[in-house]
Amino acid sequence: MSSCFLESLYKLDGLSIIMVFLIAYIGLCVIGFASRYMKGDKKYRSFFVHLIGLIFSVSLMVIADNLWLLLGASCFSNWILVRLMIHNPTWQAAKASGVIAGKNHVLGAISMASAFGLLFFETGQSTVSSIIYQNNQSIVIEISLLLLLLAAMMQSALWPFHKWLIGSLNSPTPVSSIMHAGLINGGGFILVRFAPLYLENNKLMVAIFLVGMVSAVVGTLWKLMQSDVKRMLACSTMAQMGFTFVQCGLGLFPLAVAHLFLHGMFKAHLFLGSGSAAQEKRLDLSYPPKPLSFICALLSGVFASFVFASVTNKSWGAGDSTLVLMMIVLIAGTQLALPLLRTVNLRNLLSSCGITAAAALLYGASTQFIALTLAPMQLMQAQPLNIFHILGMVVLVLAWLCMLFVRNSSKNTNNYPLWMKKAYVKALNSSQPCADTITSHRNHYQYK
Amino acid sequence: MSISIRGQENMNMSDLVKNSFTKIAPFWPLKNLIAVNPLQGLEDLPIEEALKIASAYFEQSDLPQEMLLINIETIKWLGVYCDEGQATISMPLRENGLYYAWRELARYDQKLHSNKKENIEFLENLPDTSVEAIDHCLTSLGIAKDDQKQFMTLLLTTLPGWASYIKYRTEWAPKDPNVYSITQEDYLAVRLIITKLLWPKAKELAHWYKKAFDQSNSKVLEKIQATEQSYRIPLLKKIANQKIQKQHTPEAQLVFCIDVRSEPFRKSLESTGDYQTLGVAGFFGIPVQITDKIADISYPSCPVLLKPKHEIFESPCSAEKCLSYKKSHDLRHSFKRIYQSVKYTFSTPFALVETLGGLSGLWMGLRTISPRLSSKIKSIFNHNHNHINQYIEPSIDQIPFEDQCSYAENALRMMGLTDHFAPIVVFCGHGSATENNAYATALDCGACGGRHGGSNAKILARIMNSAEVKTALSKNGIKIPETTQFFAAEHNTTTDEVTLFCKDHTEAIEKLKHNLSKACTISNVGRLKKLEVNNCDPDKAKERSYDWAQVRPEWGLARNAAFIIAPRDLTSSLDLEGRCFLHSYDYKKDPEGTFLTTILTAPVVVAEWINMQYLFSTLDNVAYGGGSKITKNITGKIGIMQGNASDLMTGLPLQSVYRNDTDPYHEPQRLMVVVFALQSMVDKIIQAQPILQKLFSNGWIQMAILNPQDNETYVMNRDFSWQKVV
Repeated sequence: MSSCFLESLYKLDGLSIIMVFLIAYIGLCVIGFASRYMKGDKKYRSFFVHLIGLIFSVSLMVIADNLWLLLGASCFSNWILVRLMIHNPTWQAAKASGVIAGKNHVLGAISMASAFGLLFFETGQSTVSSIIYQNNQSIVIEISLLLLLLAAMMQSALWPFHKWLIGSLNSPTPVSSIMHAGLINGGGFILVRFAPLYLENNKLMVAIFLVGMVSAVVGTLWKLMQSDVKRMLACSTMAQMGFTFVQCGLGLFPLAVAHLFLHGMFKAHLFLGSGSAAQEKRLDLSYPPKPLSFICALLSGVFASFVFASVTNKSWGAGDSTLVLMMIVLIAGTQLALPLLRTVNLRNLLSSCGITAAAALLYGASTQFIALTLAPMQLMQAQPLNIFHILGMVVLVLAWLCMLFVRNSSKNTNNYPLWMKKAYVKALNSSQPCADTITSHRNHYQYK
Repeated sequence: MSISIRGQENMNMSDLVKNSFTKIAPFWPLKNLIAVNPLQGLEDLPIEEALKIASAYFEQSDLPQEMLLINIETIKWLGVYCDEGQATISMPLRENGLYYAWRELARYDQKLHSNKKENIEFLENLPDTSVEAIDHCLTSLGIAKDDQKQFMTLLLTTLPGWASYIKYRTEWAPKDPNVYSITQEDYLAVRLIITKLLWPKAKELAHWYKKAFDQSNSKVLEKIQATEQSYRIPLLKKIANQKIQKQHTPEAQLVFCIDVRSEPFRKSLESTGDYQTLGVAGFFGIPVQITDKIADISYPSCPVLLKPKHEIFESPCSAEKCLSYKKSHDLRHSFKRIYQSVKYTFSTPFALVETLGGLSGLWMGLRTISPRLSSKIKSIFNHNHNHINQYIEPSIDQIPFEDQCSYAENALRMMGLTDHFAPIVVFCGHGSATENNAYATALDCGACGGRHGGSNAKILARIMNSAEVKTALSKNGIKIPETTQFFAAEHNTTTDEVTLFCKDHTEAIEKLKHNLSKACTISNVGRLKKLEVNNCDPDKAKERSYDWAQVRPEWGLARNAAFIIAPRDLTSSLDLEGRCFLHSYDYKKDPEGTFLTTILTAPVVVAEWINMQYLFSTLDNVAYGGGSKITKNITGKIGIMQGNASDLMTGLPLQSVYRNDTDPYHEPQRLMVVVFALQSMVDKIIQAQPILQKLFSNGWIQMAILNPQDNETYVMNRDFSWQKVV
């Protein structure tokens, strides 16, 4: 009986194994890093106790099958994270950051708890695995899924719940690192956990796609505007989380997991290495590209997308939501080829095709590896293409083209487009952290 | 008529603006962090008074509430304007200067006008020039003419780090076409307009300051004096007991920078053989701009008090090496360009992270577990600096022959090396090697403008090896034997390795190289003890220099306390614990006092900047230092903020001067200058140099002499009288 009960608490499947591996690996890296980085810190020991606690509780959260265990582990992880974020409560701004994050997580927890409560009362089941295979499409389930989506958005700092994330940089660097690779993924994880239910609800799938899209675009815009390295990374995380939701909304849940995993590795590394930001020198990319360069790059991009398609068993002509993904591969391939094709000749064309193909191969293989791990869960269910998908694609392509061709078009003139000035100020202001999380007087900063 | 009056008024306003900046010290950006006394603007005052004023300006624990909002908006706009390449979509219209660009955007900034009609109108009708705007705002804030300067100063001191950066940009920075211009008027205009909008009653700031000043009292000086007492007299007594040795020709002479980190290494090296070491400012008297055309970098390599006189091109010496250097450089750039192209735009970063995520993760693990292995791998892709440095040769064609001769002669006379030349003479510059360290340049050679000093050493060695120069020198009385060869080297202050730039493999050179590495081991044992590493394996020191997680790669110039201008004989048998700047000097070879004047007015002044930076960063690491590295955030590639956003954190980080959050490693004390020279000569020089009078009489530096006439030691009082040490 008790062993039966114990078994109903957790479930080891592809998803939980991938997530545990991610959090354990990043956790070990961060612990190793912090063991030197935090030397001399007054809270050295307690910092590591918290860090290890965080790793365990997040691991518990991702293997939990019991709803209440999942909720509890999630709350506990967020609580530890907030404590780690504040680190030094005498620094008012750091404390304020923690309070804002805490409020967000409390709201998220309430949302999640209500969702779980509704699910429990509607189905009478208290494990995720039994709930998700209920063929029940009642309004209660729909409401609970909506609440769960809200909780996921708060956890992953999607717009409009992003304030806590872009104001979270008063944390020690290792905390930012593990946060952007770990707990921030909680939202995406929840969606994947409950994917079978979402897959049955078209409206919610579109909603997931749309909220993801908004954050993906807004986050990228903010990221490109920031003048400090850490807020740039934070805005970028917000955009990447948005993209995870987009992938979920497209029905490509395993790819969303791949994205969480690979982005986590990438971002954790960038945060730990953020001390080198001043040495990074931006190179001239000679925008806007010449038409011929652009066309040749586009060719490389098409080539890359075919390589990607063949590695991942997809195709351009499926007529479903994978089209959005293929489009992104095409754009990325083109963008990658552009710097190689600043002067067009046969040699450059061949090398750019070669390099983009190699990149597409690496890209395809990385995601395919994770998708295969998750294959038994049967979560790769591309959705029929709808108008929102098309619109989303148009936005992604247009934004990208604008960066290439529109920016810097009018310098030094009185007739700088008015909308651009207004948009710049608006975006700058909206990407600022809350005032009380800014150290507005130098001596308000405290390290001990 | 009216125009001319207006013109005069504007000129007065410009002067007023400039004067309002006098209390602000400059702050050099991360690419060359030069140490500065944060109280440089108060050096005209006795230190007691300066400390009291500084405490009122910079150490207040609180500000008026409204000032906080003004700071937030100022930080926001300065951050995007002064950004040197972090943002991809940068602030529009920057090529027109701060005031104009900001004026064009501010009218749409809801956080400034709060949607109030009169505020929007005010922003839309701002005057054409920043000077007019300043005038306008001061009038409408009701600041009386006589209080205007002080009011503007307060607007600067309430956000001191950014004001320091503006001071650097407007009074110290070399002209750089890639950086958008900024003026003090523009900055103050923006600051005043924001103030007027967010705090119409800002006049009260003056009262706030008055209250702060009345309440401020600084007691730190007493504590500092106590530590000075216990250090200075014993040191002077120890030096006074030393004897000048008879001159002889050693196996080799090695010239190091005056930097305090040279001293322990020199001592170690001297213990390995018959080597004479000397100390002189690490740019070796050669004021140059170093340009590497392949890597497309160019920087002044001389003290910031000087302007570079020649542009020197560096490239690998053989055509074959040059080609491979260029190739590897171009290849690296191609990959960087691809990476940046995909990373800094819309839509494509999503694919980028998935493609590189796996590799990133592996690389992160490797860098954390084995910094050594990862640095080896990195050096395969990245042309190892040391490796390529071997082959890089500066061309000296840009320096006219007469200048070459005078640089050579001055350098030798400055260090007192005019006879008894050894067969090998090495000029040894220095630089640090750290990984993932925003403060890397703070550990480099201050005399070379916060850069590595190897290039200057190479230039001097090349000049000295030229037969024509040797002939010219011998006409002026410096006879260099034909057998003497000059070499350049670079001392890595993080690992104490010395790279000798020499392709010969003669026995003497091999022996020297061997002894250099022996010296490295000896001095690393001491270094690691100071870093509290129990394992004295010298490889541990190397590991710190590769480690991306290391916040204390070396102690830099911490604990610096004295500046000794004397022959090495007086210090060579003492353990100075790496606390002293050592400048070689022989008073007998300087009858006019010209060289001593130079030493006292240039290296000593720079050493005072360094000393004061360490002192104040230790006394109050928040007000004058950079704060802890663990929450630092690099803004605009120019400086450090704490967390989400803050003032620019000038000064040294906590980890550079503290062992842990509470115990300082650096011992705050003012620099004592010890000169082995005649009292009359020192008196004469101080009488002629206002800068020295200022620093000595106001108590920023203490002067002491060992008078060879009566073999007595004297310290100078603040009224320039001498007091015998008994």
